[in-house]
Amino acid sequence: MPIGQTLPFTAVRWDDVLFVVLAIMLLGSALLVVTMRDIIRCGLAMIASFASLAGIYVLLGNPLIAATQVLVYIGAISILVLFAIMLTQTKNAPTRLVFQTQAWVGAIAAVAIAAIIAGTVLTTTWPSTGAVAWTATSDIATMLFSQYVLPFEAVSVLLTAAVVGGVLLARREPPAGKEDRS
Amino acid sequence: MTALLPLIPILPLGGFVLTGLLGRRYPEDAHRIAVWAVVAAWVVASIVAVMALLHASPFGTAGAGITLWTWIPANGFSHGFNADIGLFVDPLTACLLIVVTTIGMLVHVYSIGYMAHDPGRWRFFAYLNLFMFSMLVLILADNFLLVFAGWELVGLCSYLLIGFWYPRRSAAVAAKKAFLVNRVGDMGFALGIMAVWTQLGTLNMQAVFARFGSVPHEWQIAIALLIFCGAVGKSAQFPLHVWLPDAMEGPTPVSALIHAATMVNAGVYLVARCNPIFGAAPEVMVVVAAIGIFTAILAASIAFTQTDIKRVLAYSTLSQLGYMFASLGVGAWTAAIFHLMSHGFFKGLLFLDSGSVIHSVDGEQDMRKMGGLARKIPITYATMLVGSIAIAGVPPLAGFFSKDEILGGAFKNGFLWVWAIGFVVAGMTAFYMFRLMGMTFWGPSHVDAEVEHHIHESPRSMTGPLIVLAIPAAVLGLVIGFPPETGLLHQWLAPVFEGTIAASGHAEAAYNFFGIDGALAIATTALVAVAIVVAWRLFGVEIPSLGLRAQPRPDQVREISARRGLAALYNGSFHKWWFDDINNKLFVEWGGKLAAAAFWFDRTIIDGTVNGVGTVTAGAGGWLRRVQTGRVQNYALGIAVGLIVIAAGYLYLAIR
Amino acid sequence: MSGSLDSYLILSGLLFAIGTFGFLGRRNAISMLMSIELMLNAVNLTIIAFGAFVKPLNVHASVIALIVIAVAAAEATVGLAIVMAIYRNKKTPLVDEYDSMSE
Repeated sequence: MPIGQTLPFTAVRWDDVLFVVLAIMLLGSALLVVTMRDIIRCGLAMIASFASLAGIYVLLGNPLIAATQVLVYIGAISILVLFAIMLTQTKNAPTRLVFQTQAWVGAIAAVAIAAIIAGTVLTTTWPSTGAVAWTATSDIATMLFSQYVLPFEAVSVLLTAAVVGGVLLARREPPAGKEDRS
Repeated sequence: MTALLPLIPILPLGGFVLTGLLGRRYPEDAHRIAVWAVVAAWVVASIVAVMALLHASPFGTAGAGITLWTWIPANGFSHGFNADIGLFVDPLTACLLIVVTTIGMLVHVYSIGYMAHDPGRWRFFAYLNLFMFSMLVLILADNFLLVFAGWELVGLCSYLLIGFWYPRRSAAVAAKKAFLVNRVGDMGFALGIMAVWTQLGTLNMQAVFARFGSVPHEWQIAIALLIFCGAVGKSAQFPLHVWLPDAMEGPTPVSALIHAATMVNAGVYLVARCNPIFGAAPEVMVVVAAIGIFTAILAASIAFTQTDIKRVLAYSTLSQLGYMFASLGVGAWTAAIFHLMSHGFFKGLLFLDSGSVIHSVDGEQDMRKMGGLARKIPITYATMLVGSIAIAGVPPLAGFFSKDEILGGAFKNGFLWVWAIGFVVAGMTAFYMFRLMGMTFWGPSHVDAEVEHHIHESPRSMTGPLIVLAIPAAVLGLVIGFPPETGLLHQWLAPVFEGTIAASGHAEAAYNFFGIDGALAIATTALVAVAIVVAWRLFGVEIPSLGLRAQPRPDQVREISARRGLAALYNGSFHKWWFDDINNKLFVEWGGKLAAAAFWFDRTIIDGTVNGVGTVTAGAGGWLRRVQTGRVQNYALGIAVGLIVIAAGYLYLAIR
Repeated sequence: MSGSLDSYLILSGLLFAIGTFGFLGRRNAISMLMSIELMLNAVNLTIIAFGAFVKPLNVHASVIALIVIAVAAAEATVGLAIVMAIYRNKKTPLVDEYDSMSE
């Protein structure tokens, strides 16, 4: 049975409901990321926020980006972050203060930024069409390899450099005396 | 003839330079150049002076001068200023020339013997020559600026010579005191010169005198007062008299030359030279007379109780200078110059004599440790007796004529109070001079035992000038001052002062011995005789040739000075009427406190402010430094804040 | 609500603000990096939203978002490698200790 545009017995559209649910998930998990004491739980909350963001991308008619979000962010970056957390844990990490001394000022700054953005958004008339446009993956692919091929290649170089740099930076120094073990 | 004029000051200047440069290497002969330079200057000066006094051409009655070169050519401005190096000689200058060069020459010769054992003699003769140069520049100058230059130079030489034995602290302090007190007077003089220039636009003295009538009367008074201020400092009148007694720290030839016969006369010369200026301001003349006669009695009262032989003579000098200023103030100009000349000779004689006495008793200057020296140093004694008689005013020696003219002029020109005080001072002068003679030469000897048996007469280089000086001390009055008011000196100096005398309306009546003049003369002589007899009774006398013999009565002296009423006077006189203490309290102590307060202000407030700026800057820097924490989050916060500010600003502008 | 551009933009703005607070307020270096990821995601959301509602920008927005994701991945790699290197020296992940650049 096909699902109608609106919830049964109401005039509320499914899109709106999904939007609200996903938005609450997103903001909630984002808040948990920045406020929780246990940093591993922060990482998990971050995964949750990425996931809700992927859902929002679907709502915006962009399944490719949603999939990329899940693959790259949740599949790679979050794992990377969790590994890093594991490798840098000290024994007495959670007992210290979570927030900086300047956290209050940071909070005020954040609120101010939010207010500015909200103000800007609400007072500008965007050239919006009023409806979500579905993005075709083939169009993206075409664009990627024709008009944006240079940034594409540059990004690949960047990724290579990042991999090499990351390996180099994180390499453990060989202990003295065991340098030449060829 | 006027071409000879520059030679007069240049010879001693050359002597100074050569003695200064070469003296250290040839200390034994250091005096030769200096003495010969002064002798040569004396010869030239005598020629010039005689010609000027006789009103011979080219001097005539108004005098003549020569301009050597332009010193400050600054004529191109709206208020042009021009000062030359120029020399001018008229009969007044000639009188001073005679006094300065003669006494200078004799003092130089005297110093050969007096300073024979002093290792710094070359310096002494160099300074003496520099002094001669300065004094001659002062006398010969034709414009105020050059006079001021000479004025300051003699002050400098006075400082150098008073403090000649500079390792001795009292000498160094006395030299400083002399210079500083002189400076106070010099400041007034400098202001007077500036006032002259602003009013008249020129500093040439003859030009100033010719046009002085065109100056507004308040300015005339101001200029006269300021010029007199300089004279007060240089000639040690009240209240700037405190330096002269202390100046006796210098060697005796210095005291004789500078502080008896020449430098202190510079003030008298200045006022006499500026007689048109003073004549135009009769109010200032009263001030001059008042200060002069007050100094006279003040100094004479102090001389009553002093025990240092040179101090008595120093106060005597102050007193006689007071007479001269009183004479200038009452309008008896020629009398003042007459007294200047005669005083120069007999005070110079007295000082050189005292130097000889001190030399003979091995440096002892306290009269209480002398006595009975008459038989042992006859030449010194005889010349000193002549000098004492002269200064006391016993006729027919020089002092009588000059002092009498002053008192007569005061009486006849209406200044009765000046006459009265001067009359009393004449008696006081006689008294304290014969007190000096009694304590030094007559009566039993109180000399220290080990000094007693080598009391000896001074060498011929010292007694020679004494004898030479005794002659004018004795006969100068008769030669140039007799008959009174019509003598040679009056004829010579008449053209210099006639303008002022005519303007003041004091017509000089002919001297009438059988009228008021005679009465005054007899009264003065009587008082002097009484004073001398009293002094003889108290302090002793021994003149066998006149049959005068009396023993000193020290007990009676003590008893008199301890009597009620007199004891307070004795105390005051002994402490120089506490002027030195007043000056000390006012200027040294309170001035010191003021200076300390100013120092505190400068150090705490001004330096504090300046340092405070630095401290504030450093503090602000230290406080600002804390922004650089090295932590990325703090920097990011800054970025965020900046971003918010910019974005909000744009938003606000866009919405408005 | 889901059909208006404004709500997505405001949503992304809030997410960006939360990320800013986390970056400025946490002590742990890894937390800071996670906050950076949040901020990057907010920007991504903005781009995609514009792409959805403004027709000419549609494909371009997607491509740009893709590249942003790639760059974010590279940056996370290097950042975490740096944090691990510093951790090896300072023995603590707290950025309070990372102040050797001041005196």
